[in-house]
Amino acid sequence: MGIWKKSVLAAGFVALMCGSALSQDKPFEGVQLKMLGIGDTSVTRLAKITSEFEEQTGAKVQIDMLPYPGLIDKIIIEASSDKPTYQLLWVDSPWVGMLGEAGALQDLTEYAKRDAAEIGLDDIIPVQLQENSWQGQLLAFPASGMIWHVNYRQDLFDDAGEKEAFKAKYSYDLAPPATWQQFHDIAEFFTRKKGDKLAGKVLEQDFYGNAESYSRVQGAITHDYFPIMRGFGGDYWDPATGLCAMTGEPHVKAAEFMKSLVPFNPPDYLGLMWDIQSGYMERGETALSGYWSVRTVRLTNPEEAKLPTLGKAGFSGGPTEDGKPQPTYTGSLSFAINAKVSDQEKEAAWAFIKWGTGEKIMRRLADEGWGISQFRKSILADPALQEKYPYYKVLLDTQTNARRRIFHPFYADVEENFGVELSKYMAGETATAQEALGNACTAVNSRLSMFPLEQRLRWINDAPVTVLQK
Amino acid sequence: MGYVNRRNRTIAGVFLLPTAAVLFLTTIYPMLYALYLSFRNYDLAKPFIPRIFVGLANFQEVLTSGPFLHSMLITFKLMGVTLFFQFVIGVGLALLVTQRLPGMAAIRTLLLIPMMISPVIVGLVWLFIYFPELGYFNYFIGLIGINPIPWITSTQWALTAIAIADIWQWTPFVMMGTAAALQSLSPEPYEAARIDGNSNIDVFLHVTLPQLKPVLISLLFLRAIDAFKIYDIIFVLTKGGPGDATETIALYIYRQSFTFWRMGVGAAASFVSLIIISVLITLFFKSMQKSAAAR
Amino acid sequence: MASVSLTNVVKAFGAFKVVHGVDLDIADGEFVVLLGPSGCGKTTTLRMVAGLEDVNGGEIRIAGEVINDRAPKDRKIAMVFQNYALYPHMTVRQNMEFALKPQRLSKAEVDAKIAGVAAMLGLDVLLHRKPAQLSGGQRQRVAMGRAMVRTPEVFLFDEPLSNLDAKLRTQVRMEIAKLHKQLGTTVIYVTHDQVEAMTLADKIVIMKDGHIEQIGSPEEVFARPKNLFVATFIGSPSMNLFRMTAERGDTGTVLSSPAFSLLLPVELGAKLKPGQAVTLGVRPSDVRLAQAGDADAIEARVEVVEYLGVEALVDLRIGTQEFIAQIPASERPALDQAVKVVFNPAGLHLFDSESGQAL
Repeated sequence: MGIWKKSVLAAGFVALMCGSALSQDKPFEGVQLKMLGIGDTSVTRLAKITSEFEEQTGAKVQIDMLPYPGLIDKIIIEASSDKPTYQLLWVDSPWVGMLGEAGALQDLTEYAKRDAAEIGLDDIIPVQLQENSWQGQLLAFPASGMIWHVNYRQDLFDDAGEKEAFKAKYSYDLAPPATWQQFHDIAEFFTRKKGDKLAGKVLEQDFYGNAESYSRVQGAITHDYFPIMRGFGGDYWDPATGLCAMTGEPHVKAAEFMKSLVPFNPPDYLGLMWDIQSGYMERGETALSGYWSVRTVRLTNPEEAKLPTLGKAGFSGGPTEDGKPQPTYTGSLSFAINAKVSDQEKEAAWAFIKWGTGEKIMRRLADEGWGISQFRKSILADPALQEKYPYYKVLLDTQTNARRRIFHPFYADVEENFGVELSKYMAGETATAQEALGNACTAVNSRLSMFPLEQRLRWINDAPVTVLQK
Repeated sequence: MGYVNRRNRTIAGVFLLPTAAVLFLTTIYPMLYALYLSFRNYDLAKPFIPRIFVGLANFQEVLTSGPFLHSMLITFKLMGVTLFFQFVIGVGLALLVTQRLPGMAAIRTLLLIPMMISPVIVGLVWLFIYFPELGYFNYFIGLIGINPIPWITSTQWALTAIAIADIWQWTPFVMMGTAAALQSLSPEPYEAARIDGNSNIDVFLHVTLPQLKPVLISLLFLRAIDAFKIYDIIFVLTKGGPGDATETIALYIYRQSFTFWRMGVGAAASFVSLIIISVLITLFFKSMQKSAAAR
Repeated sequence: MASVSLTNVVKAFGAFKVVHGVDLDIADGEFVVLLGPSGCGKTTTLRMVAGLEDVNGGEIRIAGEVINDRAPKDRKIAMVFQNYALYPHMTVRQNMEFALKPQRLSKAEVDAKIAGVAAMLGLDVLLHRKPAQLSGGQRQRVAMGRAMVRTPEVFLFDEPLSNLDAKLRTQVRMEIAKLHKQLGTTVIYVTHDQVEAMTLADKIVIMKDGHIEQIGSPEEVFARPKNLFVATFIGSPSMNLFRMTAERGDTGTVLSSPAFSLLLPVELGAKLKPGQAVTLGVRPSDVRLAQAGDADAIEARVEVVEYLGVEALVDLRIGTQEFIAQIPASERPALDQAVKVVFNPAGLHLFDSESGQAL
């Protein structure tokens, strides 16, 4: 971005702040907002500039950033308390059903309708709003839109020697994987030992063809398994019974596929969860790694990843079994308002959400290089930004052909049971994928089957979010 | 107490009141509440599920659940291994540090350090040591040509890794208790044995060990209860994984209560483990009484 | 059975010397008592013989062989400790069995030995008990029994009776004497109690500050103490001491002091030079009340009379000089009375005041 453009932007900012200060004397003076948040890109970017929000509105914002494991515990305890401490809650979209059914979150539909123009409701990819809904109510507002997709070493894919060797071995051109078979081939192809050559250079340490999450911790393995399972054409529930249906052919295939990748993964694969897994990609130690885009944004920032200094990251959508795109799972990292706080605090919290998720801030962070996994069409479609962040196109394309991920009130049972059972299967403790998936489904269904069919069907029914209904 | 009159007893009661109140609030009330929960279907995260009385269903579920029995097995396995090594190494170290050699006092103090560290920090320290790619352990065994071991990320090694960390932390406890007991032993029987020509092993087995027995039993008992509750180190290192390779009873209770939010099942599992600990305590006091009677 | 000899044996803890070159010969079968006040080095000497303390100088021989560097177990000794040193968790039988274990005897041999010793010491009925279930005297007998089963060549006793009450002490003392007669084994016995020493010893070794003051039979050390220390240490009540000056009198050598003068028998007087400062020692039993016709009677005032049954102890005073007379109880005088006493001429001991050595 040129200096000219930057200064215009800055001038605009100053004008806006002065304007608001003059016209309205800080509407939330004296209000104290506390957010129970997470320490990842969906919050850290914003946390650095919350003082600007205070200057504009008078509301003080304090963000407590906790690691993902354990955060939901705090939120549930906060939600079950009668005297709330936090007005703002960071919400991972799978929690929406559980928190929604518990009545913990404020319905944002009216706010969003009222301020539709200001928040650019039409600019948000619709599935991102759907992702944050429960029984049609908008319970959280996206701060980061996520999809599961493939990150790969563009520089290695472009290497002539590697391309030639790949073609010789697999009889087709080396390219971002469109099918799981290709994904497997690429992972296998790039798995090298210390002393082997990679793109002409002798390796000083082992190089891994692939890095996926296999850890059971916080259900980490399911965060990769479920999108892969979706890529094989599977889904979570049986629409007729509202019970776990993840024992079918696509589910077994997906589990077997993940297990077939183990030889190409680091030796500590059972300990890999999102941050460790993406660390391999960020340090340039693996050729291929599929994970959620909230961490993808680090791959282009040399302050957050080594990869930009020693190679180049490439990005593509998740593969499918036959190469034809399947609707992928989306995810959303969102901000929600505690249902138990006062109306004034709700307004102030909503003002913060509008500010923190608005196009202006999003664009500014993107301009400054601190990318966020975006959910706004205007930003993702911006050619200049697409140039700067090649994954924007992937995000835009996949989010438009997406299905929301799990949102069931019993999501934790699903995640935890599948986490443990799949991890055991990958470790060889359980003989077959069928058995592992069966165990996990049985555990989930043992709890669900106590509820009437009608209720189970309501829990899996994804009612269209009313805020988008004209 | 026979001669204490009624007035004095009232005064004594008044003085005991604060302690009793604290005990009630911090121990008895939570325990009773947990007992209440253990008979209910109580899901903290899902207030829409009626929190009804379910009788012994939670206990039945716990006692027939594969994961609970598995966690019990893991707990006792870990307990057996850690206690064995803690006592063998701890008693050995105690014999060493009670020798009158220069520098022993300093060495003894240094050896106590692991015990003084919070288990969570111990977990973090060992996380650095075990870390698969960058850990010290794998670096050092790499120097002697051994391939990296996925300490905490393989089902074969994870329990061993946790046992090593726990042994590291708690061996000093055994050492300290044993050393204190050794120093209180009268030196004369040892001199008698020296004159009679009994071998060191005979002296250790037949003179030292039997005299240490009461102390060792106390230490064993304390360690067993602690080992039964082991949680912090595992939570930091493996969180029960990989798979369920390191899921102990405490982890199981945690998972039921704070991952599935099934407070009732968690409470029932807690009571089952409380009963197991109580049985351990009873056995302990029985054996203490027996050895006291033999004196 | 064996002889024991110590030649110039030295022990020091760091720079602090506790035994200064002790020479001692103990014949086979002899009962030797090391006697002295606490801190005199007697126990250290015994522990060097036992091998529990290193020897810093000189040689110790048992049965003629130098054993300075031999392990305790290879010295053919057995020791009985002050605190019995029994293994608290073992029964009496097990205590003895454990002492025998290094000898690798057959079960039958072990049983025979234990049975023999138990019979001798009357331990038969106590064999299954643990030390905590025994009285002090019984424990002491067990400790001896444990030493005896090993049939050592030398027995070492380290103040074995000091934890017993007076009555029991007399009883066990007699048992020890009897056992020694029966067994005839060489014994080295450490005590600070002169009664034990006098009653048990063939030979008493009196020690003070790491030096041997005198070696001799009980009669010798009592009748002919070599110096003031031995003179006052042996005998109860202690020997009376009078600081005197020798003078040439008309009829022989006279000892004089401001309190009284005393004509010495000729053979004693011959040892003195006129003007020599001497200390006169007289045991209380050698002081008697003067009878009519006694020459050289000394007049003294009665301060205290202690009635002991058969005898009485009378504290007497002449000016500033105090002394004690041990007399038949029937003769005891009344308090504050002036009495005349005489010293048994055969019971006079003379010591050089400067060196403290007997003259």
